[in-house]
Amino acid sequence: MKQFLFYALRILIITLLIAVALDGMYTYVFLQSKNRGKIETVFNSKAKKFDVVILGSSRANNHFVSKMFEDKGLKTFNYGMSGGHLFEASLMLKLMIEKKYEIKNVILEADLNLSNDKESDGVASKFLPYIHSSKVIEKHFSAQDNFNELYYLPFYRYIKYDSKIGFREVYKIIKGESTNALDNLGYYPLVKQKKGNMKNNIVNLNPLPKNKYYEEIKNICKANNINFIAVMTPMCENVKGMNYFDKVKKAYPEIHNFENVVQEDKYFSSCGHMNDAGAKIFTAKILSDFFGKK
Amino acid sequence: MFFNSLAFAVFLPIVFFLYWFVFNKTKSIQNALLIVASYYFYSCWDWRFLFLLVFSTFLDYYTGIQIEKGKSDKSRKFWFWLSVLTNLGFLGIFKYYNFFAASFSELLNSVGIQASPILLNVILPVGISFYTFHGLSYVIDIYLKRIKAEYNFVDYSLFVSYFPLLVAGPIERATHLLPQVKVKRVFNFQTAKEGVYQIIWGLVKKVVIADTCATYANAIFDNYTTVNSFSLILGAVYFAFQIYGDFSGYSDIALGVSKLFGLDLLRNFNYPYFSRDIAEFWRRWHISLSSWFRDYLYIPLGGSKGGIWMKIRNTFIIFMVSGFWHGANWTYLAWGFINAIYFLPLLLSNSNRNNIDVIEVSWNFDSVKVIFNILITFSITCIAWVFFRARTITDAVLYLKRMIVNQDFSFQYLDNERYSYELLLVIGLFVLVEWNNRTKVEPLSGKRSMLKVALAIAAIIALGTFSDYKEFIYFQF
Repeated sequence: MKQFLFYALRILIITLLIAVALDGMYTYVFLQSKNRGKIETVFNSKAKKFDVVILGSSRANNHFVSKMFEDKGLKTFNYGMSGGHLFEASLMLKLMIEKKYEIKNVILEADLNLSNDKESDGVASKFLPYIHSSKVIEKHFSAQDNFNELYYLPFYRYIKYDSKIGFREVYKIIKGESTNALDNLGYYPLVKQKKGNMKNNIVNLNPLPKNKYYEEIKNICKANNINFIAVMTPMCENVKGMNYFDKVKKAYPEIHNFENVVQEDKYFSSCGHMNDAGAKIFTAKILSDFFGKK
Repeated sequence: MFFNSLAFAVFLPIVFFLYWFVFNKTKSIQNALLIVASYYFYSCWDWRFLFLLVFSTFLDYYTGIQIEKGKSDKSRKFWFWLSVLTNLGFLGIFKYYNFFAASFSELLNSVGIQASPILLNVILPVGISFYTFHGLSYVIDIYLKRIKAEYNFVDYSLFVSYFPLLVAGPIERATHLLPQVKVKRVFNFQTAKEGVYQIIWGLVKKVVIADTCATYANAIFDNYTTVNSFSLILGAVYFAFQIYGDFSGYSDIALGVSKLFGLDLLRNFNYPYFSRDIAEFWRRWHISLSSWFRDYLYIPLGGSKGGIWMKIRNTFIIFMVSGFWHGANWTYLAWGFINAIYFLPLLLSNSNRNNIDVIEVSWNFDSVKVIFNILITFSITCIAWVFFRARTITDAVLYLKRMIVNQDFSFQYLDNERYSYELLLVIGLFVLVEWNNRTKVEPLSGKRSMLKVALAIAAIIALGTFSDYKEFIYFQF
């Protein structure tokens, strides 16, 4: 039995060593990544200057046409992330501040995402390769339930989120394969879909009275003299529970309601996402209302 | 609690420690601990079905004794049929009732008689097909006077409920496992080490091969109407490796875990995809079930001893019942039927036992023939797997039809956001490793075993699919 216990211990040590070695290798590779996503790009960049930074979910990613800002002389990047929540938007802004970005304006898409303050696994996981390299990321995740496993167990984060930051992603980084996340200055245009779902039901959705990460973003902007602009973006006409946007306005009076700026179905790819034509109308309105650019 | 879960990684060392260091005085104490552990293991799925398991155990235990004690044939027959019918009754209610009710109703509707079936709102108790078959073989063996009844309830309970085999086999025989639980187990380093090898290799099969293949196979089977011929061929191959990795991986872990407790379980897989004909495949695939049906169904029906029609009848019965054992769906029956069709020519030409020797390959023409036969057997097995995996028989037929008529053999980007061909390298490597070790139980033992173990662990950690987590396929049976 003693012999077996030593044998089992050897296997445990080997497993641990492999995990540590793989953790180091994967993290090193992610530290070199520059063309695969917005998070890696920010983390692996140095002080940048922006007139406008756009944050939010896919409803930011698909709705703010960065080039229209640039055409008006405003250096802009759309950091909206599909599937992301305010948890990730807040962390993205913190990371930019940590990397000494100079930002004049932050436009935050704050509407449906105000209804929860949880992380979005798929997006949040992309910050995890840097959890030991960034105090900001470490602190941001420290309140999460599985922080100890993610932080202390070598390679655990790469196992848990293998579809996002696992072997395939590492292989693609090494190969230098890029994604389209950084094209069009971060804006991802959608096309009109013939069978796009033009119905939505948000009757049961309620904004949290004080969304932790929304407040964080507001406070970071205040502390860094960044002009903070929070907006609600359009949805198609056929939505049940449209009074959600009134509830947001009531709880957060400073958020500007642009929900009904674009309404016709022809401007939507699906009910919650405008197509390129709709995004251009909406962006023009934003430029005109907040930056006086027509 | 799955074998590839963190919970099991905690559970197993605790039971191991208690078994060898605390409850190690007598075999009764060892057995009692394993039963408690097994019942806990089972209750992690649904504690309510624990009552069914205990009832089934008690029923077979009691009827086994009554059969042995029975003074007249009538009395022995009574207890025997009570046990068989009750066991099959439970299986019928939980697994097959809804299928038969719905099918009967459809039949009535098709001839113009309006009928709506009364369906039961029940879920299938995990492992019911496995522990029912344990109990049945025990009772049948006593009735046929092959074995003596077990009078120690704890020992018998362990035979039925032993946690490594409780939910997905191997289907044990009383003649094999009961004698082992009747004696105190003594720790053996070599056996335990072999167990560790098998557990690690089982995990490679499950998380590296099966779960990764599953993401591709699902993306192809779920969208078979839009993908091309090449992807459809790959889909069938990926599913073949998914089900092999999944089930044989589970069996390997079960056997390995058992070796840690000093118990030897029946081997369930013997590199089935290296079979040279379908008869050999069935001697290598899910061996404990195939041999169960052979001993308790095929041979009592007359086996291959009768006339040609009897042989044909018995072949269809055994394969169709085997298919139906997997689940209440026409697709499983079709899968069994196709395998019977494959098997019949071999049986009728007396060549079903042609390939019972070890597969030897060298640089000569005979070896080319062997490789060719292996590829043909694997291909026809994949065709049958399409029926096993498809939702309906129509889906399976359309899948195969599109595979032939589409004629587009280009690489495709699938719904799982990966290229269809990407996994071929991993599968190729896996096949190569298994081929080179086909005479051994697993590939990790032997020379440089520690290096091989390290590589296997690295593969599990780095290449395994964890986030797209899947339970073992055979749990549903």
